[in-house]
Amino acid sequence: MTENQKKILEMLSKGKISVDDAHRLLNVIDSEEGGQESTSKAESEAKTKPKFLRVTVLPDPDKENTGDVDRVNVRVPMSLIRAGIRLTSLIPPEAMEKVNGALKDKGINFDVRSIKAEDIEELIEALGELEVDVVSAKGEKVKVFVE
Amino acid sequence: MNRPPLWMRVKIRGEDSNFGLWLPLFLLIPLALVVLIILSPLILIAIIVLLPSRWGKPAVMIIPIAWWLFCSMRGLKVDVQSPKECVYITVV
Repeated sequence: MTENQKKILEMLSKGKISVDDAHRLLNVIDSEEGGQESTSKAESEAKTKPKFLRVTVLPDPDKENTGDVDRVNVRVPMSLIRAGIRLTSLIPPEAMEKVNGALKDKGINFDVRSIKAEDIEELIEALGELEVDVVSAKGEKVKVFVE
Repeated sequence: MNRPPLWMRVKIRGEDSNFGLWLPLFLLIPLALVVLIILSPLILIAIIVLLPSRWGKPAVMIIPIAWWLFCSMRGLKVDVQSPKECVYITVV
């Protein structure tokens, strides 16, 4: 129970407002607080919506000063991934059948034609929780994440 | 849809060669548009010829998807460094 709701109930118990007024005020408060909750939820969703896929390979901190190290820093916009997946719509059906056949030969029973725009959106949203963190034997840190 | 990228920076450093380039993509867009307008009759004929075949849909969709792909490149960054070589590509 919020402070405002308590105040309304106190005013009702003291007879300052009628039952109808209290009911009306409580409804107003509920709708306002519900609206605030939905706004903050929408804001947090917008914040968590992934924009970039990052792949980084960082050298072992001990070997960093030697100069004999490899570094990778790749940032791919999620919209580019989305557009790339959409390119599958340009693949003619003949080629799709060949792709499906090749996948089946490898033991993957998947129909490429079944990929829809909604599935792509869902896949990209799911990528928001992706995080791969690998440390190699050489001490290199490989990170794949979205931001 | 994203705004189209304006610049592309390419920097390649090898053992005995260095190459750096700032590519003004905003200047290439009007150029590509002019080429597209000049070639539009040929493109139209190609689409009409291909439309009954299975290649019809890809032929119609290729230009809008290429534009979308181009716009989506904004923010792309590839930075790969090794002791002797370096490749740096960024699209802004």
